[in-house]
This record gives sequence, structure tokens and C-alpha cells, in this order.
Amino acid sequence: MIKVLFTGLTRNRKALIGIIIIALIIIVALAAPLLTEYNPASRVGRPHQPPSADHWLGTTRIGQDVFSRLIHGAQTSLAVGFGAGLLITALGTALGIIAGYRGGKTDEVISFFTNMVLVVPNLPLLLVLASFIGQASPLVIAVILGFTSWAWGARVTRAETLSIKHKDFIKSAEMMGEPRWRIMMFEIFPNLISIVGINFIGSVIFAIITEATLEFLGLGDPKTVSWGMMLYNAQKASALSVGAWWDILTPCFALALLGIGLSLLNFAVDEIANPRLRTGNRLNRWTALIRSGDGRL
Amino acid sequence: MAFLIRRFGFYLAAFVAAATINFFLPRLMPGDPIQIMFSSAGAELSPENLDALKLTFGFVDGPLWHQYLTYLQSIFTGDLGRSIKYFPLSVTSVLGNALIWTVGLMGTATLVSFTLGTFLGVLAAWRRGSVFDIVVSVGAIFATSVPAVVTSLIVLFFFGFTLGWFPTGYAADPSLDPSFSLTYIGSLIYHGILPMLTLCTVLTGGFAVTMRNNMINLLGEDYIVMGRAKGLSDSRVMLWYAARNALLPTVSSLAIAIGTVLGGSLVTEVVFNYPGLGNILYQAILARDYPVIQGQLLIMTIAMLVANFIVDVSYVLLDPRLRGTS
Repeated sequence: MIKVLFTGLTRNRKALIGIIIIALIIIVALAAPLLTEYNPASRVGRPHQPPSADHWLGTTRIGQDVFSRLIHGAQTSLAVGFGAGLLITALGTALGIIAGYRGGKTDEVISFFTNMVLVVPNLPLLLVLASFIGQASPLVIAVILGFTSWAWGARVTRAETLSIKHKDFIKSAEMMGEPRWRIMMFEIFPNLISIVGINFIGSVIFAIITEATLEFLGLGDPKTVSWGMMLYNAQKASALSVGAWWDILTPCFALALLGIGLSLLNFAVDEIANPRLRTGNRLNRWTALIRSGDGRL
Repeated sequence: MAFLIRRFGFYLAAFVAAATINFFLPRLMPGDPIQIMFSSAGAELSPENLDALKLTFGFVDGPLWHQYLTYLQSIFTGDLGRSIKYFPLSVTSVLGNALIWTVGLMGTATLVSFTLGTFLGVLAAWRRGSVFDIVVSVGAIFATSVPAVVTSLIVLFFFGFTLGWFPTGYAADPSLDPSFSLTYIGSLIYHGILPMLTLCTVLTGGFAVTMRNNMINLLGEDYIVMGRAKGLSDSRVMLWYAARNALLPTVSSLAIAIGTVLGGSLVTEVVFNYPGLGNILYQAILARDYPVIQGQLLIMTIAMLVANFIVDVSYVLLDPRLRGTS
């Protein structure tokens, strides 16, 4: 299953473009100190200068270098996205598998909480929580996101677990006396890898978007260098009405690019997990199916 | 029927849980919330009003359970207290005014996006792999993966500032009095176009992808092959055999979308300075106007619960298989 996923990913054009975009952003974020000499937080030029040879993407209202803030901000967005995404997926997957496999009372309790969290509106609640905490740092935002957004993953994982728990290989593992945690970790989990992957990428997208939104709305820590704070500061400086498009469109473009890269990857994983969704050359698709053993004639 | 009763019980429990979270949130804050509110309201609150304020939060003298019951009672009697920011006004009237704008804007945007998205999804699935499908699928991926903040700002920048075609804020020209005159309605539409465009861009893609994927899964079913083998026309198989059944899961996403109408357009409303519920919530958060925040959270929870219950009912009505098993 894992092997099919990886060979599928390398052969899928959407996945390839998505991976290239994400890899590019990660490399730029990691190499940020090498790519620019400017400190992202300090004043290094005159306010609101348009893009030039000195400042590739211009300067902000208070004279910070936009390019430096962009590539340093990428670190924050990626860290929050992947950190919160990991937490969301870990919680959702664990709860989903336990509820689905154990059944009975355990399932009832977990499902009740899952459904409860699902019906409470998420973004408004996050806004209120963030405002109560006051000037939430990226770490705090990631933790809040992790603990409030696992419900969707838990529900989907539970449903998938239910559909495979009566398969023969699980029964035989039970017969051989494997402990339950081992069955859940090593028999069920690897078979859910595509749903876990979709959940993970989806959660990363959600976390990045939500962090940027919360910061744009002014609920973040003003000292943070991140794409959301760039949007907030640009909006506060009326960048649009004074014509400083570089100030506000730069983080916009970066967020859109990262979102698109991750979504392409997500759609590709979905297509590999669900072969009917695939499009493209019919012959290629057919041979790929035969090779992966999915194509039954 | 037993199924529906069980679901109703669950929603009632969920509502009480949400109300409880609402009750404890201001209590978990550092400091005395009433004092914080009192100081942020300035001199506008008289001591009698302070007492009234305490009452709506259940900050009455007595043990915690007594406070909690007082609070629950004020919820179920529909008394949400008074706003701090817009002081003499009650929370109900502040939210009521904003509700009209949000329902008008988001409601229309949701229905337009649903219709458009479903239609595009059906056609894309039917011509899977064609140029049309690729344009729709890739467009949907782009539109759904770009954050609403970004879409709003870009739309505002190009159409509002650079081209200057549309106004950059407010629901209507502030110099006009609300009336049913042509000028006022024209101004409403003129001001509504940009937020509407943003919301439709954000929402349509999701509906299109859901519909397309449902359709494609169904197109492999035997009864579709049977329909074709019978020699039925393409459009008949597409609309009456495939689309009709593929619509069922989409109905649930529509209902959920309607459930989130009351809170879903927060970012767009803030960017376009639209006087809807999302903007009111945002302003309330900035001003620490807890009565309004609590009222708004409650209203949104109720909307979500009602929408979910409608999904359950519609499933029982639309899918005969559920009727037998319940």
C-alpha cells in the first residue's frame, strides 16, 4: 500500500508539480539567512519604497525589507503548518483507529466527542480563544489548532477502520495472539496510510490558512515575522489605498502558492487512493493499474 | 423515527455543551471579566447596568451551579443581555441588524456557488479527461486552496483600488437612507458585487470537486451502463441516472455550508467592511464586548446544529436505505 502510494506519487503530474512547489518554498525558507543580508525585523530603508535592486520586493511602511520578511516568514508558516498538521493528524488518527477497532463503550464516548467538536463552529471559536489568550505566538496558535481541529480526521479514520477490521489479516493476527496496540499500530495503521496522508496534508493547509487569518485579524503577536503578520501590517498601513501593492500582494502570492502546492499534492494522493478519479491517458492509466495490481479485468 | 429522535437528543446535548463552554470561557480568563468590561466601556455603564450585566453572565452571588443555572435560564428565555460597545442596545438587536446583511450576502453567495459548482462538477465528470474537465478541476484546486483573506484582498486590490470599478467598503452608500427605492437597491447591489465575487470564488470550487468526484464514482456503477445499453440519450443518463444520485452527498455539504453562513464570511466582511455578523463578531472581539461574542457563538452553534439536523432528516427522506435500518 505504501509502495503503491510512492510509485503513484512520482508518476502523477499533479503530485510532481505540488512537490516541486513545496520543496522550493522549504529550501528558500531554510536558506533565508543566506539569501538576504537584511534583518527581517529592523528598519533597513526608507518607508514604502517600490521594488528595486537594493530591496527586491520593496520596503514596508516602517522601512523593513519585504523580501527578507517574506523568506523568513516562510519559516513560521511552514513550522506552524507542519507542526499543527502533525498534531491534528496524530490525534485524529489515534482516536479514529481506537474508536473503530475497540468499538463498544470506547467508540461511543470518542464518537460523541468527535461529533460534538464537529458541530461547534471552528473559526469563531478559535478567534475567541486567541483573543482571550491575547497576542498569541505562532506556537500557541499551532497548539490551539492541534487540539481543536482533529475531529474530521477522527471521523474519517474511524469509518475506514470499521471497513477493514473484519478483513482476514486482522482476524489472523488476533488468532495469533498479537496484542491490540500492535494490531492497531502495525496491521491497521499501514492500511490507512492514504487516508492519513490526505488528512495530514489537509490539516497542514488548514493550519497555514488559519494562522495567517488569525494574524491578519490582529490576534497574533506583533513581534512575529510571518506571512499573516505581513498581511496585518500592510493592511494597517493602508498599503492598498496608498498604492504600495508590493507590501500586501507579496504575502498574498506566497500564501496562494503554498496553498496550491499542498492542494495539488492532496488531490494526487486522493486520486491514487481512489483510482476512478484519475484522468489522463487511458492506456497509461490501465498499465499503471495492472502494475499496481488494482486492475481486475 | 427512532434515528431522528436519537439525533435530536445528541444535538440537544451538543447545544448544552456549547452553552457550557460559553459559560466557562469568560471565567477562565485572567482577571475579573466584569471589571475588564466595565473599564473598557468607560463611564457609560451605571451601577444598575453593571448589575444587569452580571446577571446575564450568571455572575450572581452564590455557588457556581447556581450561576450556571441562572445563565442557562437567560439563554433559554432568549435574553442575551446588552452590548457594551453599542451600549444601550441589546445583543439581540445588534445581532439582528447584522444578521440581515449576512444572510443576504452569504445566503445568495452560497446558493449561487452551489448551483454553479454542481453544474460544473456534473459536466466535468461527464467529460472526464477533456479540456473542460482539466480547466474546472485545476480552477477548483486553485480557488479552494487560496485562503479567503488572500482572495478578498486581491479582489479588493484589482477591482476596488486599481481599476476603481466598485466601492471598497460598506453595504450601501452611507449617504442614502435605507428604503425600497431603486437608487438604494441599486447601491446595495453595486456595493455587494465584490464581496459576492470573492465568496463565490471561494465556495464554488468545493461544490464542483465534491460533485465531480461523486459523479465519477457513480459512473462506474452497473445501472449507468444499463442506462446506456438501453440506448438512452447521453443527457438523460447524465442528469437522471448519475447526477440525481450523486447529488445526495452534496445536499449534506450544502446544508453544512448554510449552517456556516452565519460565521463563514467573517474574513470577507472584515476586508470589505461589510456590516454583517462576522464583522460584528470581529469588532466585538477587538472591543472585548463579551455579551455580543457569547450571543454570536450561541447563534452560530444553533445554526450549525439545525443544519446538521436538516441533513439527517433529508437523508432519511432521500435515501430509502436509511429508513429500513433505523
